[in-house]
Amino acid sequence: MSEKPVDEMVDVVRDTYHVPGETPAEAIWEGVQQGMRAAPDEGVTDLTVERMKRSIRVSRPVAWSVAAAALLVLGVGVGRMTSPGATLAPVANASSDATTGLRFAAAEHFGRTESLLTMVRSDVRQGRVDSMTGTWARGLLVQTRLLLDARAGDDPAMRELLEDIELVLAQVVGLAERGVMDGDRTHNELEFELALRGVEERELLPRLQAAGRLLGLSGT
Amino acid sequence: MTELELIERASKGDERAFRTLYDANVDRIYRLAYRMAGEEDLAKDFTQEAFLRAYQRLDQFRGDAAFSTWLHSIAVSVALNGLRKVDRHRKRERSLEDAAHVSPGNPPVEPGVRERIDGAVNDLPEIYRMVFLMHDLEGYSHGEIAATLGVAEGTSKARLSRARAKLREALGDAMQEYV
Repeated sequence: MSEKPVDEMVDVVRDTYHVPGETPAEAIWEGVQQGMRAAPDEGVTDLTVERMKRSIRVSRPVAWSVAAAALLVLGVGVGRMTSPGATLAPVANASSDATTGLRFAAAEHFGRTESLLTMVRSDVRQGRVDSMTGTWARGLLVQTRLLLDARAGDDPAMRELLEDIELVLAQVVGLAERGVMDGDRTHNELEFELALRGVEERELLPRLQAAGRLLGLSGT
Repeated sequence: MTELELIERASKGDERAFRTLYDANVDRIYRLAYRMAGEEDLAKDFTQEAFLRAYQRLDQFRGDAAFSTWLHSIAVSVALNGLRKVDRHRKRERSLEDAAHVSPGNPPVEPGVRERIDGAVNDLPEIYRMVFLMHDLEGYSHGEIAATLGVAEGTSKARLSRARAKLREALGDAMQEYV
């Protein structure tokens, strides 16, 4: 397949995947018309207003403290994992020291990521995002990439999980930043949906929990 | 009558003006909804909901983007939200029989190949899948995609590249004889 032009693969997919038939325009219009004549939509909450209200309640220093603490913990973990002269604890050899450091850093990271995503999922379902979320997610995104660059990425399962985390965290960072900077309600709603689907379709929360249990450090 | 004039009239309750806007956009919206959902009933529901929501928010349309772009943003949001609810009850994977039943436009393809294609596209992360569906299957430009999804054109291109790479990896040699 790899030597075949991409266009040919796309042509096959285009003719195969969810191919629409004729648009039932009149049937759809009937439904639209009925809705237009009904009462106006009152159930849509103003996401921008909600977001601004919540943003005010969280101070910038607190957000930075969380990010700094997260990076500090990672620094210890990755430092133990990568430094040949690490002497934080008695170890049998450099390899086991690296493994212990890796487990520590990864388990801590998974735990914090799980907490963030749980919060984001809750926020998204309520149609809002906390301003601290972006800072927190950005710190975790940096950690994820550090782990991917380190030996954590050598294990295929670990790499896959970290790549999925990276993808979703990048969305969350974008979502949070747009939440502060962009008042476009339609785009904000769209980003919310994409972020939430990212978490759910990748089954990230159960996978993070399972990984934490596997590493023996769940709940720390 | 210009598009802005139609929008202004529609926002004051002129049904005929909104019908003109509807006629100009319904086909593309429905096709995209169908590509996302894969079922006629869902695609109809999403399309209807998108137009209704747009009608209810016409007063919020600022005119700094094309009406079509604004409408597409609403439609994608509606479809993603709707699919999330549907996915709670059933996974996207379905039997060949179901797939054939719900895809009236599908030409005959060997069962195994269709299943692999469905699985590979369904397994794409949503942000990649959206760009792939819009660009490669429905012919949207990167400019249109970027405006609809609220991302940079470069982001749209990068996501398409990742989507194609993942599909190539997932489909492997499954389609050798078909390409």
